[in-house]
Amino acid sequence: MRKTSTGIIAGAVGVVFLSVLVAAQSAPQKNAPRSPWKYYPEDARANEGPGGPAPVRDMSGTWAGESSGAGVKRLVPPDRMPAFTPLGKQLFDRNKAEGTGVLIAQSNDPHVRYCDPFGFPRNMNDQIRSMTIATVSNRTFVMLRFMNIWREIWMDGRTLPTNFAGRGADVHDPTYNGYSVGRWTDDYTFVAETTGMAAETWATEGGLPHSVDARVTERFNRSSKNDLSLTMTMDDPKLYSKPLSLGQVNFRWIPSQTFFDFSCVPSSVQQYLKEVADPASSPGAAR
Amino acid sequence: MRRTSTVGLAGVAGVLLLSALVTAQNTAPSTAPRSPWKYYPEDARANVGPGGPAPKRDLGGTWAGESSGAGVKGPVRPEREPPLTPLGKQLWDRNKAESRGVLIADSNDPHLRYCDPFGFPRNMTDQIRAMTITSLPDRVFVLILFQTIWREIWTDGRALPANFAGRGANVHDPTYNGYSVGRWEDDYTFVAETTGMAPETWATEAGHPHSVEARVTERYHRSSKNDLTLTMTMDDPTLYTRPLKLGEIYFRWIPSQTFFNTTCIPSSLQRYLKEMADPAGGASVAR
Amino acid sequence: MKPKVLMMAVLIAAFAAIDRPSFAHHGGTAFDITTPVVLKNAVITEFLWINPHPLIKADYKDDKGNVQQWTMELGGLVGAQLIGWTRTSLQPGDVVTLYVWKAKTGALVGRFNKVDFPDGTTMRDSQTGADDGGRSDSGQRN
Repeated sequence: MRKTSTGIIAGAVGVVFLSVLVAAQSAPQKNAPRSPWKYYPEDARANEGPGGPAPVRDMSGTWAGESSGAGVKRLVPPDRMPAFTPLGKQLFDRNKAEGTGVLIAQSNDPHVRYCDPFGFPRNMNDQIRSMTIATVSNRTFVMLRFMNIWREIWMDGRTLPTNFAGRGADVHDPTYNGYSVGRWTDDYTFVAETTGMAAETWATEGGLPHSVDARVTERFNRSSKNDLSLTMTMDDPKLYSKPLSLGQVNFRWIPSQTFFDFSCVPSSVQQYLKEVADPASSPGAAR
Repeated sequence: MRRTSTVGLAGVAGVLLLSALVTAQNTAPSTAPRSPWKYYPEDARANVGPGGPAPKRDLGGTWAGESSGAGVKGPVRPEREPPLTPLGKQLWDRNKAESRGVLIADSNDPHLRYCDPFGFPRNMTDQIRAMTITSLPDRVFVLILFQTIWREIWTDGRALPANFAGRGANVHDPTYNGYSVGRWEDDYTFVAETTGMAPETWATEAGHPHSVEARVTERYHRSSKNDLTLTMTMDDPTLYTRPLKLGEIYFRWIPSQTFFNTTCIPSSLQRYLKEMADPAGGASVAR
Repeated sequence: MKPKVLMMAVLIAAFAAIDRPSFAHHGGTAFDITTPVVLKNAVITEFLWINPHPLIKADYKDDKGNVQQWTMELGGLVGAQLIGWTRTSLQPGDVVTLYVWKAKTGALVGRFNKVDFPDGTTMRDSQTGADDGGRSDSGQRN
């Protein structure tokens, strides 16, 4: 019995020792030197709490979003089955989004197949792991980390354009990011409106379509120094019989103000599709 | 003799009149109503002169560059006969650039064949028709219109990273835009240094190669409210026997602070290659 | 001033007003920029407002009644916009006369020269839109 007990204790000690070793190797290297150029998610996670009151009319800086490792509250996804018009349903059915039942090889998502930019509003609810906000006197710029794309929101009181069809010299071209205006509705809430998004883009990763006349409303609310939330809705009467929710994305201030570099490079995507995703014919190609 | 002189004069007068008409159609400012969302090159061209003294330590705003229709002086291009080391020559010869007389169908320019981002420094000398500059207390951001790509230049006094090779936890990943620091050299000159650019990118449209250790210096000099000059050099001893001049690019302030939308969409490019450039044997004219 | 000197002065002024040589030939190596192929009553099937070059796609019925499917590229997007092109300048169904510098490979592709609309107006390419294949934008490149 004593030999067995000794053996059991020795074994237990060995397990504990090994566990400690593994834990030490995996745990954040709190005392390891830091490069200012690198993002340390553990440091972002350790920055808990509100951090102080929100500055007035100021969202500037670099923010961590969903799946950033910074401990950000999970997002609320867009409506999965909004109230489509018949045309909306037709376009939705045409968009084969990678996911349940659709493999990459079968998807016609232009981003998945070609690395086409998401366009707005999808670039604010898909791969929105980090963004940086800065301003000049008449504009707010949203600089997205994914694909290093930037958007411009005009704050000079102008109205949104409405004419995107026809041939006159005053017609406006649809663009991937659309045309945006914004204003502060109170000291901590910035509201932007966007229209004129090129209709070939998808509004969401799930393939919700939009027309060029769609109008998207973003409501940024900064509730503390460290907390920013973004709520989005889309009004597109041609395709939806009532406005739909594009969800809510939450952000946390990053103390080091830097994030991983990550992007989509078209030639790499072509190589990936050719060598892996298309031959694989299996759902193993999650991004 | 008198009849010949009269006919000659009449012919010349006719030519002069037609030239004046053509010039009037293409360059005179129009009185047609303006959309704040559209770029009117004739208005930008009409904004002649310095416009006032340069503000101190301020590059903020939207600038028109080469071939923008704003009357900006043409750039000084990068050196076409670079002083290459043997390895540099090998890489230079490997890069088959359209601007060096290669047909598109035969080019291996990743931007031309796939719409891959240019990366830095090419994105500051190629298709640099407009850019916007904004800042935060610790960073300057360069927002390039082509492909709506943004770059970040840290002004907090940090040093550039130096370690891009090896396997340690402190190794920095090369990125398409590299790692940039900057400072004001005087009230009107901002100098940025960048290193760590991913070597698969080309430094220029002509296919100048660069290593990951290359260091690029940008010197932005604002000589008046309306005038900004960017001078660039690249020091890359692995590939060049002396620093390489990447040229000089001139910018003019855009009064409306907007520009055409211009980008490269990978799926559209694949269509262009398949339906146009490859059947034509390549060699489109200069973009 | 004597008449001959006056004529010389006027001639010099006339050529100065034309900011590029009148008969410059463009150096596009893939296209035959000597004589454009004329596609009368071509029907536009697509106008792709894309980078690096917008594309015009059109059906053209030849004199034997066969339908040819043509693709031609314009100068780059910014250059095109600088001389007034927009993404709706051509639309599917438009019946126009297209002038194209055909590819030397013989494929039904080429570099766009100009288009004549039924209302008598014409739109040209930024770089090869002149009748001799040169620029048609009064040289406004900057």
